[in-house]
Amino acid sequence: MIPLLMFLAVCLALMLGYPVAFTLGGVALAFAGAGVLLGGFDPTLLNALPNRLYGIMENQTLLAVPLFVLMGVTLEKSKVAENLLNAMSRLFGRFPGGLGLSVTLVGMLLAASTGIVGATVVTMGLLALPTMIKRGYDPALATGSIAATGTLGQIIPPSIALVLLGDVLSNAYQQAQLNMGIFNADTVSVGDLFVGALIPGLIMVALYMAYIVTRAIINPDCAPPIQDDNQDQPPLLLQCVQGLAPPLLLIAAVLGSILAGLATPTEAAAVGALGACLLALLQNQLNRHNLQEIMISTTKVTCMVFAILIGATLFSLVFRGFNGEELIHEFFNNMPGGVFSAMLLVMVVIFLLGFILDFIEITFVVVPIVGPVLLAMGIDPVWFGVMIAVNLQTSFLTPPFGFALFYLRGVTPDSIPTTTIYRGVAPFILIQIVTLSLIAIWPSLATWLPDIVYNS
Amino acid sequence: MTTIIAYLDKVSDALGRLLATASIAIMAVTFLVVVMRYGFSASGLTLAGFSISAIALQESVMYLHSILFMLASAYTLKHNGHVRVDVLYRKFSSRGKAWVDLLGTLFLLFPMCGFILFASLDFVSFSWQIQERSGEAEGLPYVYVLKSLIPAMSALLLIQGLTEALRNIGILTGKISPLPEESSVV
Repeated sequence: MIPLLMFLAVCLALMLGYPVAFTLGGVALAFAGAGVLLGGFDPTLLNALPNRLYGIMENQTLLAVPLFVLMGVTLEKSKVAENLLNAMSRLFGRFPGGLGLSVTLVGMLLAASTGIVGATVVTMGLLALPTMIKRGYDPALATGSIAATGTLGQIIPPSIALVLLGDVLSNAYQQAQLNMGIFNADTVSVGDLFVGALIPGLIMVALYMAYIVTRAIINPDCAPPIQDDNQDQPPLLLQCVQGLAPPLLLIAAVLGSILAGLATPTEAAAVGALGACLLALLQNQLNRHNLQEIMISTTKVTCMVFAILIGATLFSLVFRGFNGEELIHEFFNNMPGGVFSAMLLVMVVIFLLGFILDFIEITFVVVPIVGPVLLAMGIDPVWFGVMIAVNLQTSFLTPPFGFALFYLRGVTPDSIPTTTIYRGVAPFILIQIVTLSLIAIWPSLATWLPDIVYNS
Repeated sequence: MTTIIAYLDKVSDALGRLLATASIAIMAVTFLVVVMRYGFSASGLTLAGFSISAIALQESVMYLHSILFMLASAYTLKHNGHVRVDVLYRKFSSRGKAWVDLLGTLFLLFPMCGFILFASLDFVSFSWQIQERSGEAEGLPYVYVLKSLIPAMSALLLIQGLTEALRNIGILTGKISPLPEESSVV
């Protein structure tokens, strides 16, 4: 009972708005303190804390976090998105729905190279939304497609979210197998998750584009073609190459070296970050001021992620101290319907938690608790990870609490009412649910490619 | 009170900017490790008479990374970089926000950081006593310094928490006008 109470208390405390990292730790400590005073909690359990924190410092996988953040922040400053969007909209713009397709493609490439949802939504909102509105796009379609493509950063590799999820899942998977008495355990890596998320991510992009094209064909007025009114532009081919080459090369170098087994995600991230810096240098954007801003942003995001991990470590230690794990275990084992209903329940809970918590908190707090139990029931870790990622992405799009919508609202002119944004994302939420069901029905969509890449 | 806050803010900002350079250093050293491994299959590097093994270089990335995320956490707190669940928070008045921050600092941040500081002291002092070194023969012999980052992080956060608490008291008593919002979106 107490573990459940602890979970509820932390959710309530979080709603007040004090930083998540310290709320997690503070509430957990309050419970531990009460448990020591009233009996029922063994304080020596907390002696493990310093060693756990040192474990976070030693963790080689998580070293990829500051590097991927650095890469994303630098790319954002290097105007890659702007050049790319200009080129793409010249290429596709003359077709109905073409601008929408360009936004989806650019959003996908941006998501692949930056991997930060907030940044992608804000960048695309600032760059593309004014143009789309000016060219007569239906505001609902415009805002919906921008919010949806922005959340792709979550799932399209290399994404920071998948790095964190991969690290947590590999621990959970090992623990699940140890609990079952398997000592030479199989492993799951960040690379597995990257590869596994590739096909589902591309399916989503394809469905987004199909939807935009269908809308444009049925009702050309909602996504009109744009006339090329500016004559003195560089040749189209040149502009496309200049816009496409930098991000494509970067993505190819980073993803390619991971897929080919040449580099760990951390090493690939370092190469990617350096590439992004060179790119910014070539575009004349890497001046003193920008460099300072890039370093400061990277520092703040990195600290934010790791502070939550530290708070969550304290939280899960206390949660275990109150026998929370056994409670979850028993609950799942006694549930009618076995693995299917257990998985369904976890997915619904994660979807709802996605309204108030970010990917990072859910990965660090919820996955370590439910992961070992579900994985011990025989669920594939890569499939589980991809399901969580797509599920959370859907949650971030869903009104009224979706994160992506808040970010987009912040950069949308007041003339577009919030209800229009809600109406715009609705079809994309449907697409997300379709994708989620597809992966649920055919797990091989997520597991087939990692098998080919890593087991051949 | 405002002078104390201004002074602590200055120190915090200077420290933050210094620590931020570690992010570029992490990238540079990791890249060097990659180049050494794949380009030259080298196991070490000789620089100005000092030879550094590839393992030591790899470990130095870990040190830089730990220094960055442990010590700059206080700076991130000052600049509102720690993510909040702001569904309700964003609708609060600046007084309401000051109340949440003041109470949060007193009852969530202080206990957590105080506890980590207290709980890590034995752990760290033992490491200093044995002058703990890396498990790898060619690794860096400064594990005790690395472990000291745990109490250091807590101490810095406690100091920053004190600054924030004073600032919030100032806002609530009308002595300080609230700062313009620093957005936490990257």
